[in-house]
Amino acid sequence: MLKWWLSASALLSSMMIVLVVGFLLQSSWPLLQQQGIAFVAGTEWYPFESLYGMLPALIGTLWAVTLALLIALPCGVAAAMLSAELLSPKLRSTVRFGMELLAGIPSVVYGLLGIWLLIPLLESQFELLTGRTLLAAGLLLALMILPTIMVLSEDAISAVKQSHREAAKNLGIGWDATLWRVLLPQAWPGIRIATLLSMGRAMGETVAVMLVVGSIDRIPEPFYNLLQPAQTLTSRIGREMAEASVGSLHWAALLFCGLMLAMLAMMISLLTHRQRLVV
Amino acid sequence: MNTSRLQYRDTISKSIVWLLAIPALLVPTIILGYIFWKAAPVLDWDFISGTADGAGFGVTEGIFAQLLGSLLLAVMACVMAAPFALGTALYYRIYASPRQQQLLIVMFNMLQGIPPIVFGLCGLVMLVNLFAWGVSLLSGAVVLAIVLLPLLVLNTLAALERIPLNYTEAGRALGLDSGAIIWRLRLPRSWLNLLTGLLLAMARALSETAPIMFTATVFSGVVWPDSLFSPVTTLQTHIFYLAQEGNNPQVINIAWGSAAVLVLLVAAFGLIARVLKKLEAD
Amino acid sequence: MAIDPIHENFQQVALSSSDTVSPNSEGIALQVERLGLQLDGKVILQEISFSLPVKGVTSVIGPSGAGKSSLLRCLNGLLTQWSGSVAVNGCDTRKWRGGWDQLRRHVGLIAQKPVVFNTSIRTNVCFGLKSWRQRRHADELVEKSLRQAALWNEVKDRLNEPATTLSMGQQQRLCIARALAINPRILLLDEPTASLDPHSKQLIEQSMLQIAEQTPLVCVTHDLAQAQRLQGPVIFMCDGRIIEQGPGEQLFSQPQRIETREFINWSVCDCD
Repeated sequence: MLKWWLSASALLSSMMIVLVVGFLLQSSWPLLQQQGIAFVAGTEWYPFESLYGMLPALIGTLWAVTLALLIALPCGVAAAMLSAELLSPKLRSTVRFGMELLAGIPSVVYGLLGIWLLIPLLESQFELLTGRTLLAAGLLLALMILPTIMVLSEDAISAVKQSHREAAKNLGIGWDATLWRVLLPQAWPGIRIATLLSMGRAMGETVAVMLVVGSIDRIPEPFYNLLQPAQTLTSRIGREMAEASVGSLHWAALLFCGLMLAMLAMMISLLTHRQRLVV
Repeated sequence: MNTSRLQYRDTISKSIVWLLAIPALLVPTIILGYIFWKAAPVLDWDFISGTADGAGFGVTEGIFAQLLGSLLLAVMACVMAAPFALGTALYYRIYASPRQQQLLIVMFNMLQGIPPIVFGLCGLVMLVNLFAWGVSLLSGAVVLAIVLLPLLVLNTLAALERIPLNYTEAGRALGLDSGAIIWRLRLPRSWLNLLTGLLLAMARALSETAPIMFTATVFSGVVWPDSLFSPVTTLQTHIFYLAQEGNNPQVINIAWGSAAVLVLLVAAFGLIARVLKKLEAD
Repeated sequence: MAIDPIHENFQQVALSSSDTVSPNSEGIALQVERLGLQLDGKVILQEISFSLPVKGVTSVIGPSGAGKSSLLRCLNGLLTQWSGSVAVNGCDTRKWRGGWDQLRRHVGLIAQKPVVFNTSIRTNVCFGLKSWRQRRHADELVEKSLRQAALWNEVKDRLNEPATTLSMGQQQRLCIARALAINPRILLLDEPTASLDPHSKQLIEQSMLQIAEQTPLVCVTHDLAQAQRLQGPVIFMCDGRIIEQGPGEQLFSQPQRIETREFINWSVCDCD
């Protein structure tokens, strides 16, 4: 009886991932059957004309995630460094506590902040017609992943052995060299995992992004123009899922977006798992 | 090599770290303050305990129904996911071969990495449409349970991991079977940790919006769902819908108020989990 | 012998920061006067005064908890809350040009447990070099340092392998080579052989004696036989004070103070 329960639950929960992926594949099959796989590289998304180009959303996702990491990674690691190396233990635990609290703020609250604080700010700063841009999405995502990056990096940095810090001190190589050549290399596996995890989170974030990204299928023009409305995979699903009729090609295309998200996320976590056994 | 330059380098690198770190520490703090500052005008007891009547379309104050819906969904999801998570974790510890163990870990890390919206999609297609459960409490709870599952499994595993091996070996030496070892040794020893994991899962369930957006919630009109198959209103989706009602400042105030309540609720679960963790460590 | 450019460079640094050598410090590498240390209200060291000749090994012996390790940490500036004065080559260490970090480049310290960084053997030896250009062109320096630390023959064919694959004894010698690579003018060793096998112990002692021909060494040890083998003057510490100091033979054969005598007798009995 006991063994049955344990085996059944293990089997069921490990089948979950196969189930999800298989199911998404099966539901988006009509689209694949009709249009092949070429539509992934298409640049036009007009469901009414059966054009389902994925490129704009893919590029939008890529930009939003990259932007978020570019901002959050240096700041987060620096904050972790500051709190692990330069602050007093008491201040340090306060900072950490705050960060753990911040990590728990629901994404919809960030969405609210995005609409009513960030977007008006961007509109007035850059004199834009609409503040709903890739930049807004990137900034908001950066804010959301910052606590995760910081908490995990701080763990990694403070796990560096005291004797190694002291050995570096004995060689008199100075604080900056200790940072670059002792602390960061040794904390790197942890920081790498933090980066990958927050990358996955940024990629899959839906509600906050769809509120600020503008949801217009357009590839940034030129490619570094972040002050344009854009679309991400998640925002497209969030915006259009309610409109698509069940079983239509549009529906299948949206499910294919979900499948791509799942695939990308699985790839990222395959990269992480090599060094992480149990959390 | 100039010695004074080396000293400057120290100061410069430290200042760069400070410079980069200060926004990372200050901006989130300011934002948290901003939420509560905006929420302050509407936050009072009536706001929490009042129910908006359906016709009010969110303009009427009161988020009691939404609060109830959120908690109900989260509790149901936890209740559904917990036995599976515990079973899986115990299977991992007791029966799984090293190869299976590795596979399970990879699986759950993958599952945890998959964006919640994907589960929402699957729930919409399978539960809402295929099984014809409709947009309902049950659909939402099942989807949320799947979202929580990897988190719970990994937390439970970590909790079981903390039991020293000789502890269970001592039990085995006494001739206890695996069932008895679980009930009399493993669970009593790690129940605080398991509870901590459950609380963290609750916090997570309360902060997810995307998976329940299509599967469980409607905007208003529900206070207490009639059955498992009726839709609910939740705080998360309430904020989501209100945030897009741009032309009425009163509505936005309610959104801020709801956001503050949600943040407090999630933080409360996080705090209790933290206290329990500390209790366990002592 | 042609001096390689890196070493020359370091030699110059060494000279430039000691240009204020006072005339009466000729022949004295390290002068410690009335050094005292309190940590959290507890007295760790008091009234420590001694001086070090420009070469040779000075052994510091004493029971555990006597403050021997703390003394070394004060000398190279890992601990800075001490009182009194410490002068290296006639320069007060508190007023050292470039601060404590720079001082530590001149006063090397080898810890009891070897600490190797998780990189190649070569990178470990070059760790103290500041610019990457120096680190890249340091082949001669690496060889010289490893030879001095009696490790060259064992690792010359695998300089690019991870240093963590070395045995404990080899790791400790690697640490010595790493400290030597930045050409310190004094080398402090904190029980360098305490956790090692007899063979490594012997090798390290040999290389210490060899290094001591050019550089003064301070070696903390609780192994009296080792202090005797190292031949130099001996300082006996107990409860944070120096009880007795003098040439090794004299201190071992005719200790003047009763504490010294007890410690020596007790240690001899203990060893047998």
